[in-house]
Amino acid sequence: MKLLAVTSCPNGIAHTYMAAQKLVKTAEESDMGIEVQVETQGSIGVENELTLEEIQSADGIILAVDKVVDMDRFHGKKVLQCSVADAIRKPEELFQRFVEGNVPVYETQKERHQDEGKKNTGQNVFYRSLMNGVSFMIPFVVIGGLLIALSLGIGGEPTAKGMVVPKDSIWNSIFLVGKASFTFMVPILAGYIAVSIADRPGLAPGIIGGYIAATGSFYGSEAGAGFIGGIIAGFLAGYIAKWIKSIRVPKMIQPIMPILVIPLITSVVVAILFIFVLGAPIASLMNGLTGFLESMQGTSKILLALILGAMIAFDMGGPVNKVAFLFGAAMIGEGQTFIMGALAVSICIPPLGMGLATLLAKRKYGESEQEAGKAALAMSLVGITEGAIPFAAGDPLRVIPSIMVGSMTGSMIAMLSGVTDHVPHGGPIVALVQAVGNVPMFFVAILVGSLVTAFMVNALKKPVVNE
Amino acid sequence: MKLSDLLTEDLMVLELEGANREEVMEELLNRLDATQALSDRETFKKDLYDREKHGSTGIGSGIAIPHGKSDGVKEPRVAFGRKKSGVNWDSLDGEPANLIFMIAVPKEKAGDDHLRILQALSRMLIDDDFRTNLLAADSKEEVTELIIAV
Repeated sequence: MKLLAVTSCPNGIAHTYMAAQKLVKTAEESDMGIEVQVETQGSIGVENELTLEEIQSADGIILAVDKVVDMDRFHGKKVLQCSVADAIRKPEELFQRFVEGNVPVYETQKERHQDEGKKNTGQNVFYRSLMNGVSFMIPFVVIGGLLIALSLGIGGEPTAKGMVVPKDSIWNSIFLVGKASFTFMVPILAGYIAVSIADRPGLAPGIIGGYIAATGSFYGSEAGAGFIGGIIAGFLAGYIAKWIKSIRVPKMIQPIMPILVIPLITSVVVAILFIFVLGAPIASLMNGLTGFLESMQGTSKILLALILGAMIAFDMGGPVNKVAFLFGAAMIGEGQTFIMGALAVSICIPPLGMGLATLLAKRKYGESEQEAGKAALAMSLVGITEGAIPFAAGDPLRVIPSIMVGSMTGSMIAMLSGVTDHVPHGGPIVALVQAVGNVPMFFVAILVGSLVTAFMVNALKKPVVNE
Repeated sequence: MKLSDLLTEDLMVLELEGANREEVMEELLNRLDATQALSDRETFKKDLYDREKHGSTGIGSGIAIPHGKSDGVKEPRVAFGRKKSGVNWDSLDGEPANLIFMIAVPKEKAGDDHLRILQALSRMLIDDDFRTNLLAADSKEEVTELIIAV
């Protein structure tokens, strides 16, 4: 039987290591056939940290701790909690309980994302934080996406300004509720990234930072920094809050640290960083990209299609996406509807491709991701690129390249076959409202691009390890 | 750095005079204070007792390790006291303590050499032979011999 243990005491000078030694020694000397590996959390820091693979393969965990340790990683394992003294005094009894099967299975309160299993220690903190943010964000994306899809699909009308839901219709209210849900998306992502780093004091600064990141008017930019800005805000807020937490303060101030001092200072610092340091480059990036696209006019159409496809998929509603979209919308006025044609295809490929990917390889996606995948399919029909954000935010390095390549493929096919669109909106819905020229190739382009995304991301992703 | 650098012979008391925990604590505190390792004897003493309140450091098998990470400590040191007849330490196994290691650790100190040594000592104390040999040692030189390996 293979057991793991964590030992930790308040001072971390002596008992932590005695308990560790005692457990190992007792296991060696006993004839119970038990092998023990111990992680010590003492004054030197964490040593012999247990890896996720070791935890997966262990028969049980002994937590001989007199202070709070992170237990989330032991979800679903048999966990015996006791004091450090118990491990020193009666290790045999502890082992005996495992032999008898008299140990309860530990379950975390928090919803754990199954993706966690595949991480190695190096990526641990980064991915765990991202996944924490994503898991809380998904409901907002799903609610917002489906309500907007529904209201646009049934109550929307094509206009020169895009798909619009008439103000006096009931669908307008539903549309606004969906938009409200979308408003929370980036702040919640940022907030819970920060929580996973700094615990509760990170929540408010993360949410506020995320809101600022997503709201370009704070820093004189036409568009916010999107979910990528939200991720940056979340990590900033988390690490700043964590750092302030680590400062030793007089006892008198301690009680107000987590509710007042840490959130307040962190929020102000994150806001200042975003408004004055990060905001200006975002605004100038948009101006630069707009100028760049204008200069591309009249050069190679294929190159333009590739660039637009890549931009649409890159940040899904962020500044880069916005620049491409606004450029396409402006070109409709000049009669160049083929640009919006390519964009309309690119726009729906990220959610459609990711939705297909979850259907094609279920074991590579956790439960909540599979749900997000179904919602993404619905969102793709009405051109809500944001449907793919949960996937991109959770695993940016694999997902973003895949959706970019998919959108570039679709964009190029559309451009080469002369697909046009005279309503500034994307996805199959624009074909439905008769805004598209060359409808068959419009769908071919969408389908090919989405399949490229789906196969590419599934080739890159590893299966989720079952817990 | 080795344990014998922290636990020098002037910090060893092979036959403690104190009859109870308080008296033994005083005896070992005096030794530590005499080496100039403490900056504030009373602060360190208070931290030691705070730790004891948290749960006795009598870990059983005749061993007690009163210890503190304290602002009252300048340099890491270990004092060692022995009382063959034993002294009541509210130990986990109810047995009196014969071997008492008083561990003084400064709150702020660069590097973790001293912590590693204390870690090694803690692990050694689990070893039955090590304890038996400590109890049987006839001189401070012999004790030094035993701990030089740590």
